[in-house]
Amino acid sequence: MKRIVKMLALGFCLSHALLHAQESKPLRIGVPTSVQLQVGRDTITAVKMAVDEINKKGGILGRKVEYVTADETENPETGISAIKKLVSDEKVDLLVGGYTSGVTLAQLPHIAASKTIYLGVGAASPSITAKVKNDYDTYKYIFRVGPINAAHQARALVEYISGFVIGELGYKKIAIVGENAKWVQDLVPVLKRGAAEVGADIRMTELFDTQTSDFSPLLAKVKSSGAQYMIVILSHGSSDVFAKQWHDAQVPVPYGGIDVKSMDGDFFNRIGGKSISEVAANFAVRAPLTKKTIPFFDNFKKNSPNYPVYTAFFAYDSIFLYAEAVKRAGSFDTDKVIKELEKTRYEGVAGEITFDESHDVLPGKGKTNLIFVQWQDKGERVVVFPKELRTGNFTLPPWMKK
Amino acid sequence: MEILIYGAVTSAIYAMLAVGFTLIFGVARVLNLAHGSFYALGAYGAYVLTSIAGLPLWLAAILAVAGVSLFGVLVEKILIRPLRYSQLGVLMITLAIALVVEQSLFLTFGSEYRNVPAFVDTKINMGGVDVAGQRLLTLVVAGVSIAVLYLFIQRTRLGSAILAISQDADAAKYMGIPSDRIFSLVMAISAALAALAGILAGPFLSVQPSMHLLPIVKAFAIVVVGGLGSIPGSILAAFMLGYAETIVAYEISTSWTEIVSVLATLLMLVFRPAGIFGKRTAF
Repeated sequence: MKRIVKMLALGFCLSHALLHAQESKPLRIGVPTSVQLQVGRDTITAVKMAVDEINKKGGILGRKVEYVTADETENPETGISAIKKLVSDEKVDLLVGGYTSGVTLAQLPHIAASKTIYLGVGAASPSITAKVKNDYDTYKYIFRVGPINAAHQARALVEYISGFVIGELGYKKIAIVGENAKWVQDLVPVLKRGAAEVGADIRMTELFDTQTSDFSPLLAKVKSSGAQYMIVILSHGSSDVFAKQWHDAQVPVPYGGIDVKSMDGDFFNRIGGKSISEVAANFAVRAPLTKKTIPFFDNFKKNSPNYPVYTAFFAYDSIFLYAEAVKRAGSFDTDKVIKELEKTRYEGVAGEITFDESHDVLPGKGKTNLIFVQWQDKGERVVVFPKELRTGNFTLPPWMKK
Repeated sequence: MEILIYGAVTSAIYAMLAVGFTLIFGVARVLNLAHGSFYALGAYGAYVLTSIAGLPLWLAAILAVAGVSLFGVLVEKILIRPLRYSQLGVLMITLAIALVVEQSLFLTFGSEYRNVPAFVDTKINMGGVDVAGQRLLTLVVAGVSIAVLYLFIQRTRLGSAILAISQDADAAKYMGIPSDRIFSLVMAISAALAALAGILAGPFLSVQPSMHLLPIVKAFAIVVVGGLGSIPGSILAAFMLGYAETIVAYEISTSWTEIVSVLATLLMLVFRPAGIFGKRTAF
């Protein structure tokens, strides 16, 4: 009897020690992103900041946190290899990253097969989280922490047109210009219908090839269409050239809209200040959106030569909201953590983060939203819409000032 | 009027690219797929020298052009010359150079767009059309540099040597013309023209690692239309293509412009494979 007790005790001690060893093994976070781009570099910087802060406070449930990156580029094939590297070779416990929707969509089956939780911080296609809704058991690992999806963005753009361009500036004659890509083709009909409903007079709509490098004919057409304001929808590539040519030809039509490259903190400087007066939608700027916004921006600036772009906010938030979910679950068990993640109410850098039933981040008052930010003198960014977040007044391009 | 001016600027850039491309083919029979890389290196050179080294733009431009033309000479001497008697070998090595340059730019500068400062920042109104000063400057510089090149070839001894080689390389050699040295010279001119185009167009077109593709595609289309090896042919074709693209952009849609050059190449190859001025000599 004594022997049995002894053996049991020994066994218990051993298993406890093993369990403990398991628990104190560092938690590994995999970061698949486009390392060559600002969105990617900022994702990594933000992850590093979050990891350092968490480790300083003793880690998550006593486990230290470490991260490893993989370059997914903007190419789906490379994106899949990045996921495979992270889950099979690096054996990560959590994935945080993403930028190009096409890449993320290609990665989804591989992420689901590895049964690793994935917190998306960059891609906006609604199709990504639609998978969760259609096949929950397979894709429940996928969450989008940010940005709000493309359909929500289109609605926000219509609000900008009705509330600001028509409502405040009084510009009813509008030209819509965008790159010829799938997400824009989906977005433009919604935008046109919405804008017409709120009383806009759409003078022209034109989509250009993403390879276009000379916009002067297009800009001349916008000018002669009589439009008073130009709405742009740009993401992959040509924003820099577009802004430069608009500025150099001094097109007498102010412009704004969704311009992903213009979200970059260094956009203004890298094109020699030629985006002056452009209004670009963004998810956060250094303004008191939540109590975390300004501290995050300032802290980020210490770790990086530029202010962060949107992937940084969401990457930073992702790691904390994951840590909270683990604490609530009391374990690292994937299914339990997923259940807790679904209940997330986390005040992040850009607003409160909550998920709908497809694991997609919800927009709304106080949550993540599009805010419209204008480039002003010396590259200063000023929120012009929505009104309750306004930090400055709209200005016209220098050549239109009287 | 808008079409007239913008078309001329586009055409001028195309002409600068195509003349260099056709020159090296006409003289050395080298189909240089790395031609676009000279254009890219010119633009990046100006970017590095102005934004990082902080030099004034005119000096940066001169240094960049000189550097790229030296690079062209080295490439020709070390990499192309040993393979010159194999058309396929030349194609492969120049393609390899183009890829190496692209990847090096990618690794050094990342895939983001870079800003090359403009020489002139003012806007000029011509007949009711607002044109950026940089575009007009591009037009003028392109015109002058091509004219100088033409005079150089027609009026100087070195020019005559170039002409002679383009007509019959072997005969020229027997006459005592040092063909290797002439090839270096032609490569230098061709690379310098492309680099200059890159510096001039950089401020209003894009500067990123894969920027070499556009010029090589256009230059190819132009010399096929104009006749491979013919300088007047490529100038004429550059203007035809430049205007055709501008007209399509204005009258139909900007998304259709990129197809113009491909279509022109295709039609020319089907109906008149030699091009408008196609013959064996350069002039």
